[in-house]
Amino acid sequence: MRTYPRTISLLSVSGILAIPLPALAAGPDFAAQIQPILELNCVRCHNGEKDKGGLRMDTLAGLLEGGDTKEAIVPGDPDKSELLVRLHLRPIDEGVMPDEGQALTKEEVGLLEAWVRAGALWPEGVVLTQRTPPPLKRVALPEKAPASPVEAAAMLDDILKRENASAPVVTTDPIADEAFLRRATIDLIGRIPTMAEIRDYEGQGNGRREKLVAKLLNYPRFNDRWTVFMADMLRIRSNIPGGNQLLAYIHGSIEQEKPYDVLVRELIAASGRANSNPAVGYLLGDDVNPMELASSSAQVFLGVRIGCAMCHDHPFDDWRQKDFYHFAAYFGKTRKVQGRQDGMVYTTEADDMAVLWPPEDKAAGKTREPVTPRFPFKLAKPGATPDHLLRLEKLRSGEQQVASSEKDAAALDALLDGVEPAVGSPRDPVLEEAERESRALDVHGDIYRASVLREELSKLITDPHNDYFAQAFVNRVWAELIGRGFVEPLDNFSAYNPPRNPSALEFLSREFIASGYDFRHLIRIITLSDTYRRASLPAATPVVQREESEKSFTAAPTRRMIGEVLFDSVVVAGHLADFKWPQGANEKQVSREIQVPTGEMEVGSPAAEMKEATAAPAMRGDGYDLESTLKLDFDAILTKQERGELESMRAMSDEQIEAEKMAAMNKDAQGNTMKFTTRTVTETVDDNPRFDSAMHMATPAPPAHFLRVFGQPERAGLGEFRDTSSSLRQQLMMLNGRMTHEASRVGPLEPLHRILQKDHDLAIEHAYLEILTRRPVSEELAEARALLAADPFEGMADLRWALLNSHEFRFLP
Amino acid sequence: MSACTDYQVTRRRLLKMFSASILGMPVSQLLAQAVPGKGRAEHVILFWNSGGMSHLDTWDPKPGRKVQGEFAPIKTSVSGMEISEIFPQLAKQMHHAALVRSIAGTNGDHGRAQYELQTGFGQTPNILHPGLGSIVVSEREPLGDLPAFVSISGQAARAGYLGQQCEAYFVGRPGEKDPYLAFPEGISHARGMQRLQILERMNARTSGNVGANDMKATETALKDAVALMESPALKAFELDEETPQTIERYGNTEFGRGALLARRLVEKGVRFVQVNRGGFDNHGNIFQAMRDHGAVMDSGIASLLSDLKANGMLEKTLVIVLSEFGRTPRINDAGGRDHWAACFGCMMAGGGIKGGSIIGASDADGMEPAERSVKVPDLHATICHALGIDLDKEVITAQGRPMRLVRKEASPIRELFG
Repeated sequence: MRTYPRTISLLSVSGILAIPLPALAAGPDFAAQIQPILELNCVRCHNGEKDKGGLRMDTLAGLLEGGDTKEAIVPGDPDKSELLVRLHLRPIDEGVMPDEGQALTKEEVGLLEAWVRAGALWPEGVVLTQRTPPPLKRVALPEKAPASPVEAAAMLDDILKRENASAPVVTTDPIADEAFLRRATIDLIGRIPTMAEIRDYEGQGNGRREKLVAKLLNYPRFNDRWTVFMADMLRIRSNIPGGNQLLAYIHGSIEQEKPYDVLVRELIAASGRANSNPAVGYLLGDDVNPMELASSSAQVFLGVRIGCAMCHDHPFDDWRQKDFYHFAAYFGKTRKVQGRQDGMVYTTEADDMAVLWPPEDKAAGKTREPVTPRFPFKLAKPGATPDHLLRLEKLRSGEQQVASSEKDAAALDALLDGVEPAVGSPRDPVLEEAERESRALDVHGDIYRASVLREELSKLITDPHNDYFAQAFVNRVWAELIGRGFVEPLDNFSAYNPPRNPSALEFLSREFIASGYDFRHLIRIITLSDTYRRASLPAATPVVQREESEKSFTAAPTRRMIGEVLFDSVVVAGHLADFKWPQGANEKQVSREIQVPTGEMEVGSPAAEMKEATAAPAMRGDGYDLESTLKLDFDAILTKQERGELESMRAMSDEQIEAEKMAAMNKDAQGNTMKFTTRTVTETVDDNPRFDSAMHMATPAPPAHFLRVFGQPERAGLGEFRDTSSSLRQQLMMLNGRMTHEASRVGPLEPLHRILQKDHDLAIEHAYLEILTRRPVSEELAEARALLAADPFEGMADLRWALLNSHEFRFLP
Repeated sequence: MSACTDYQVTRRRLLKMFSASILGMPVSQLLAQAVPGKGRAEHVILFWNSGGMSHLDTWDPKPGRKVQGEFAPIKTSVSGMEISEIFPQLAKQMHHAALVRSIAGTNGDHGRAQYELQTGFGQTPNILHPGLGSIVVSEREPLGDLPAFVSISGQAARAGYLGQQCEAYFVGRPGEKDPYLAFPEGISHARGMQRLQILERMNARTSGNVGANDMKATETALKDAVALMESPALKAFELDEETPQTIERYGNTEFGRGALLARRLVEKGVRFVQVNRGGFDNHGNIFQAMRDHGAVMDSGIASLLSDLKANGMLEKTLVIVLSEFGRTPRINDAGGRDHWAACFGCMMAGGGIKGGSIIGASDADGMEPAERSVKVPDLHATICHALGIDLDKEVITAQGRPMRLVRKEASPIRELFG
């Protein structure tokens, strides 16, 4: 804690004083009291080089001149000084300062106010320079390794408790056990629990939370849900080369419980074609551009926005542009090649390529030289190996001994796999010969050359001594489960953006490393902690108290299900994953207007224009198509197929995917490119829909799709997170969408149908459990009974519709 | 309907900032002063032409030059202003319109250029800039029940850091019924309203338990949704009220219907309508393509302008015809033109724009701006200026980063306004 002597007690009455008192010239001491505040909190963004808002705060002249808004200080008059106005804003107000990092303490603001009131004395000629913040305050971590995840969770809670000891927070009670079932099921497998799961859980005795978590971690759906998480993190897009392969590869990696560090090494060091080595999709995602790859690798895997230093020294951090270039040099020899014949894309290494320094825009009159690769992040190498690394070593000692020659051969096989003809087709002797020859070649000499530099980089990034690596990932997983990260934004680790609870973050990261970077282990510790079970604060809680408590994890932030989870939860609650009506039960005549092409071409309608427009793509999305999902078959994507077919899947834009979807659904996509007339057609349909999971479709979904409306990111740029804000469109899709409607209707093939014929109260309870994972209270029961009185089936549909649309359904307990 | 929450934050901030001076002054007066009433435009209709529309074959003909290609320029209702022959009807409306012929773009890649043209900013990591429509929704209060921002026949730019509530309302096909605007089939209005009552009771029971802004915002969105479903203004989305003659006059194409729908929507208070259309990436056979484009666009835009003029809406409706870049002043071997960002043009009309003006000029072959070079952010600032949006406005993103809505160095083309 920084403290400063309190010299002026008059501060507290400053608002009452009607006239400035120049007589109080003996204000705070500049060098001892004011300078440290400005240098620690202000000068970093407001200086001669970087003047955010047009304001310099390193000189008196800068403050007097002010920024874009107005003068920052008016000596003698704190009320007219913009600086103090901004400092007094609440943390949630717009324009509050500092806008990054910690807010100033009351004492600090008081000192600045007194200093301005006293005339803002500033010693002649002094120019302030930025001060590095003091080291983080930490609490002691347990010396003994936890014997179980439960113990680790308890240790985590204890660390947080000690870290928050002096914070102005409210600690909420843990949520009830049935709410835990709902919360954990939603978080781990991405949908609400089913009736069978509720019953099973209710039947369990002691330790049922632990058993539940263990069970959920083994669900196939766990892989689906956390593929969505990884796809957000890695910005996986189905419509770029290698996108679907990368998606399927990530899904498979989670399924196989691949350690996170191994996964990242594979991504960074990958070479070849997406067909044979799907991890190469990571490089293709950034178009194999060294600058972009450096930027995203640092930000995604290390949580450091070094990419800002691509064009200039980092404005809010200590990264220099040259650091960035050294880092980018690891990617500098990698090249994207497109085969002339088949148009397939692969990566290879080219000796004649390199990242050059100085940057092009600063190179006038200078020779640009290749930059040597250098890792800009310090690896912490203490004298004695810390306990968690000893545990990691022990864990891995048995697994590590894969002969390197064997590994190289395997890698070469992977690179060459695509050359093999499809099973059953005759072997081409020339091809066989070529293949033998290339197998004889050194791995590093082949056309699909592996990258020595990226191999080295992948090891540096994932080095257990590299604190950033584990912490960045732990921070993301924590935020996904708790609702906010230790560090926010999640990918902005910086000395100037310190975590609120550094010791808790460090503890979790160490446990993650010691477990062999076991993703499930990390989730297990978090979900078994008391912290994970915190309730939210009531609506009436004062804003600042809420903020503080949520930031310190003593109360849970309100969380809405993400789009995919909401979609799948409606499907589960409404028994839509399978037919719930007998065949033909819902046959009806449907009239609809269709647009019929007149045969005359209308150029330029959006469907005709599919190759271009990546930024503002068009999509038809008529009718209820915005709720449809088209399942991708991950297994098929990873099965090496004929060349071409999968590769042709890759370069699909949103519109093409949409067009294919239309074609699949027998929509007349061609009509869109024609002049049309409207006709009304009548047809017989058997209205008995089924809905696939939203977690297997091409990703991201087309714009305006249910998932996008509920905040699925576009994944185009770095630093784009899930948008959790609400919109009118979301409401309309839930109120009037086909999915909610069908989910509400009671189908003869679902259990509720039978119960409803026997016992209304039981049926109501069943509906509440299936949708909200709880039983109705008496008031709710009475209300529901009245609904069922006239027509039980229609009344039940009304009840279910309202439950599905309720806030309680959409927001996590 | 409510505007983005930022609007409210802004008011609060203004009140704070001016706290010294507001004593005795009504808040409304203060707000009126804080947002200077510069522009006269209340609505925008943006015709977005995706693919890079040839400037030489539309707004900036070069008669007598080798680059001109097949089209002859034609005279317009403004003496001295000539446009391409593909727009004969529009030519008669040009006294309402201004041409900008000297936009100096910087990006020849579709995606990046579209991003810049629609947001005013270059694509950078870690931030998603809002498109023009979202900015307008955020900065101008809604009028009426309809969504303030509607995108027809395709997607507009995203709302980015302004959040979901500033995204465009999406109309797939103009005139087609949007199933999400009414209760599902088989649910009568009375029953639907009854359902809403049940829902309201349920939500009321939990509203005290879980607080925070998220839930309040969800509540507001729900109210807005119901208000929209109940609004008589919804009729504006349907074209049945228009005579077949009117629909034909706009050209009974998707584009023509889109233009007609745009008119109907602004009449009912929609702030920003974007009508999307593609097909301009004419690397081959450009003259046939542009002739076809002209046939589709001409009647739609011309009818829109004359109708808006006739019903008095043109004065407060800014109509823009824009694309991400122009095309090469050189005809390639395939009879097409390639991407050309260094110089291109656009058309603007209404909303206080001085009709008949020509801003800037390109050089002899339309290669580079020769006079009054207009940068893309300037264009962006011009549109914001027309709507009276504070060009210095800064908003704080959800990540806590302050962002200007309009680039600092951008300045509006003031001579466009009377």
